[in-house]
Amino acid sequence: MDRRTFIKATGTALLLAPTLMKEALAAREHSLVAVAEGGDYAAITRKAIIAVGGMKRFVKPGDVVVVKPNMGWDRSVKFAANTHPLVVRAVVEECLAAGAKKVKVFDNTCNDSRRCYVNSGIEGALKGMKGVECKHIETERFRNVALNGTFLKEWELYDEVLLADVYINVPVAKHHGLSKLTLGLKNIMGIMGGNRGYIHRNLDTALADVNAHVKSHLTIIDATRILTAHGPQGGSIADVRVLNKVIASTDIVAADAYATTLFGMKPSDIPVTVAAYKRGLGEMNLDKIKVVRA
Amino acid sequence: MKLTTARICQFIFLALFLILFVQTEYRGRDDINAAVNSFFRADPLVLFSYLLAAKSWSWLLFPATLMTVATLVLGRFFCGWICPLGTILDLVTSKIRKTTPLKALKGNFKYWLLLPLLSASLFNINLSGLLDPIAILLRAMTFLLYPVLGLVSREGWVGLYRIIGERRDTLAPAYSLIRDNLLPFRDTLYPLALLSTAILLGIIALERFETRNWCRNICPLGTLLGWLARFSPFSRVPQALCSDCGQCRQLCPTSFDQDVLRKEECVLCMECLQGCPHERISFRSSLKLKGGGPLLPERRVLLGGMAGGLLLALPIRFRYPEKQSRLLRPPGVRNEDDFLKKCVRCGECMKVCLKNALYPAAYQAGLEGIYTPLLIPRLGYCEYNCTLCGQVCPTGAIPSLPVETKQREVIGKAVFDKNHCLPFARKIDCIVCEEHCPIPEKAIRSREVQVMGLDGLVRTVKEPYVVEEICNGCGICENVCPLETKAGIEVFAVKNHTPISPSTVGQEAKESSIYH
Repeated sequence: MDRRTFIKATGTALLLAPTLMKEALAAREHSLVAVAEGGDYAAITRKAIIAVGGMKRFVKPGDVVVVKPNMGWDRSVKFAANTHPLVVRAVVEECLAAGAKKVKVFDNTCNDSRRCYVNSGIEGALKGMKGVECKHIETERFRNVALNGTFLKEWELYDEVLLADVYINVPVAKHHGLSKLTLGLKNIMGIMGGNRGYIHRNLDTALADVNAHVKSHLTIIDATRILTAHGPQGGSIADVRVLNKVIASTDIVAADAYATTLFGMKPSDIPVTVAAYKRGLGEMNLDKIKVVRA
Repeated sequence: MKLTTARICQFIFLALFLILFVQTEYRGRDDINAAVNSFFRADPLVLFSYLLAAKSWSWLLFPATLMTVATLVLGRFFCGWICPLGTILDLVTSKIRKTTPLKALKGNFKYWLLLPLLSASLFNINLSGLLDPIAILLRAMTFLLYPVLGLVSREGWVGLYRIIGERRDTLAPAYSLIRDNLLPFRDTLYPLALLSTAILLGIIALERFETRNWCRNICPLGTLLGWLARFSPFSRVPQALCSDCGQCRQLCPTSFDQDVLRKEECVLCMECLQGCPHERISFRSSLKLKGGGPLLPERRVLLGGMAGGLLLALPIRFRYPEKQSRLLRPPGVRNEDDFLKKCVRCGECMKVCLKNALYPAAYQAGLEGIYTPLLIPRLGYCEYNCTLCGQVCPTGAIPSLPVETKQREVIGKAVFDKNHCLPFARKIDCIVCEEHCPIPEKAIRSREVQVMGLDGLVRTVKEPYVVEEICNGCGICENVCPLETKAGIEVFAVKNHTPISPSTVGQEAKESSIYH
């Protein structure tokens, strides 16, 4: 190596160093999971968001943000089938406070969407807020997207998500008959169109395919109350446990992995989590996840 | 068209009819306070056929009793002041050039329709809804006109998206105002849509022969009201045309085609009173004056009509048995015969159905069941928390039940078809049906079994099964089954409609909890 080459190499290294360092740090930080606990659901939601860096870290002034709760079922709040309206509202308020131009909240529901929007309490919680849209799905807005995944080569995804600057995933933690649990990774089904039941035949891979394409910038899991059986829609108070917790992470797999422990299970018990981890979508090993109590 | 009191009243009721029609839909609240069923509940034809067929009383039809009494006192005012179909005919008739009246419709034709309808009711076949003017209008609106309005508006809105994309959102508030308050929530196609509309158009086309042709010569409701009106003490004076004028023949929309006013055809529109150049006309109470003709139609017609009803009532009861296995009625209907006695086939349940699960039977329920509501799970399912169909049914054929009761009413029972259902037929996971089953304890459950896949490898698959005791047949499983065309699980009709007992449901809850 001559002197010139050496100087060049050193210079380049020096120039790139901050970026490389940042990347390395970001990779570590990815596995940070914040858990807030308390009876004031709006407050603990805010605490969890602050613990992962505050909403300003994700939402820049003028951004269009999609907040995607789970409100797929015609069940009232107490049944833990849908994301708690207070959690959703707090997330939306944080987005607006960070300068979001517009916050869009929607779900491709399983029951009649009018009843789901009303009965979940979410439409009501957002009523009258400026810059917030809580519209029903309009089927013409689904676009066929090339996913080039392992199972799904292409699928219809909702254009409001594809066009948004920030995508915030706000699932409720609950039991599911096929995937055992439904958390952040599975909540993505609410932006999918078409014959969604089709993906059940290879659910784990399909969800990894979609989550690899649509990244959740922030995942906030509502565990204020969780549904422990007869999911995903429940309907019996006996199956609901109140935990008063909200979990936040930029790493969707880590968030799901931690939430799994609330059900007394291990992340490796949940094939959806494992498939996403293997795909490199995040960290599922609990000893590599840093849990911060907010 | 002069704006007389009767006209204003007609327009108010037409507007009311349209508003109530639009209101007969889920608009964010579990209860519908006022629906278009009010018109049927005040309909004496519905009342008479219900009383004859069901042979019991329903307070739902109290308004119709009042209407009957009012007609006995005042005369046939319903046709000239309230009937929305009559108003529509009045609005269009001036645009239709007249030829000569149809001879075939004169005489006792209307009695030959009304009497067999009523007598068939007595023999347990309630067909009056088929020819009830309000039902005819409502069915044409529900099955074709309203869906067309929705489709055209939505296609326009979608077309706009295709052209300008996201920028369409600036217009969204205006569109959502229309969509939320006027348009149907989703586009639905109905069987019998063309027939229903053709009947309405046929009635309008009859205006070609004379004004209010349908009303004075055919309409069974009008005929019934006309017959009741004969007992009214109020009459027009003078009864006949005046020899020096005869203006009434032009002014009268219904009766004066002979020289004498026929009381059963006078709709009390008061056109003659207001148009008389000599101010000779008055409507006053006078027991002496009677309308032309006897109180009952000729004995021949009376007996013939009765016999016609009996003859009608028997042969149309034929049904193909294989169609019956999929004959699913709305929730709360437990007895098919009882249902057919009460259903007026007005189409309101189908209009209001949240998931558009209800459709008019074309042939499935035989001739006797034409236009009665039928649940087709592959097209829509019965939403667990919804009770709207019972709320809008004007006669209680579909009972109005509290939501907890309705959830336990059995529509049918789900059965797996293992030749199609994926875990059985293809040895792969699916259980979308279990996921959607709304029964809190799950009427569809699954168990893990070791099976040999089609590739020869042994694997674990979740095989679903139905817990029949707690299945209410809502049909969501069949609706969401991801198989194309035919579903791997289907709801079949049952004879035993005993509601699911809440106690069984409670016990099942504990065993399969994953949280110990």
